[in-house]
Amino acid sequence: MRELSLHVLDLAQNSLTANASRLDILIAVDHKADTLSITLRDDGKGMAPEFLKNVTSPFTTTRTTRKVGLGIPMFKVNAELTGGSFDIESKVGVGTRMTAVFILSSIDRPPLGDMPATMVSLIVSNPKFHFHLEYTVDDQEPFAFDTEEIQAVLGPVPLDAPEVVSWIEGYIREGMDALHGGA
Amino acid sequence: MNVAELAKILDAKVLNPEADTAKEVKSGYVCDLLSWVMAKGAPGTAWITVMNHMNVIAVATLLDMACVILPENIDIGEETLSRATEEDIPVLCSGKTSYELAGLLFAQGIPNPVK
Repeated sequence: MRELSLHVLDLAQNSLTANASRLDILIAVDHKADTLSITLRDDGKGMAPEFLKNVTSPFTTTRTTRKVGLGIPMFKVNAELTGGSFDIESKVGVGTRMTAVFILSSIDRPPLGDMPATMVSLIVSNPKFHFHLEYTVDDQEPFAFDTEEIQAVLGPVPLDAPEVVSWIEGYIREGMDALHGGA
Repeated sequence: MNVAELAKILDAKVLNPEADTAKEVKSGYVCDLLSWVMAKGAPGTAWITVMNHMNVIAVATLLDMACVILPENIDIGEETLSRATEEDIPVLCSGKTSYELAGLLFAQGIPNPVK
């Protein structure tokens, strides 16, 4: 993927397919360690050990329409191409957590991309789903965005109402920009 | 033109001759970003890339490509090659650069992939 946010958009679909009710998207920039890490954590149905063992192979997929699944394999290889790493853990009935660590200064690291637009796409297609985004830059107070908190404030107004959507995008953009992650 | 004929023109070695080299080459493409290739490649594409991991074979399989071509004598691991054979994707290797290989394909009148 040309941008890391596109991986997030793609992989979130896995959580939705796995009947998760909540997805945490944790992005951390650490200039001292020279890393950008992206963690996706859901409370979906999880994977059995046998499936998990092979999940980074592109020839492992739950799809029935075709036999190739490249979401996780591409995420892993992209992280490794920068000199970073990838790991995943999953438990049936509990959920799945995966983390890709990218080397921040690597010339092969794609830019983070447009996370506010990514969050908006996710929310618009799944307005009732609980998304939680956290963006951390070094030792600064993280920026957090949580659809359940916003929904509580909004009351009966749906999250995908046009004026809410445009507010959400601006809110996330401002919150992330304020931390100056440079990713 | 089929894959075996193309290999000759490119002065390339077929690393897994067990795979079907009689497949017709319908188009050519050069790109190393896999997600991009997923969007642009087509059945019958001869794909030139410096990437040599398992995901390359997966993309080629997904799109039912004619073959994968590795430039500059880039090697491919045993496991990846045997998967390519299993999926019937010929893997070619040449000492030429991607630029030279694409030039040769183009000179043969092989077009861009059409989705």
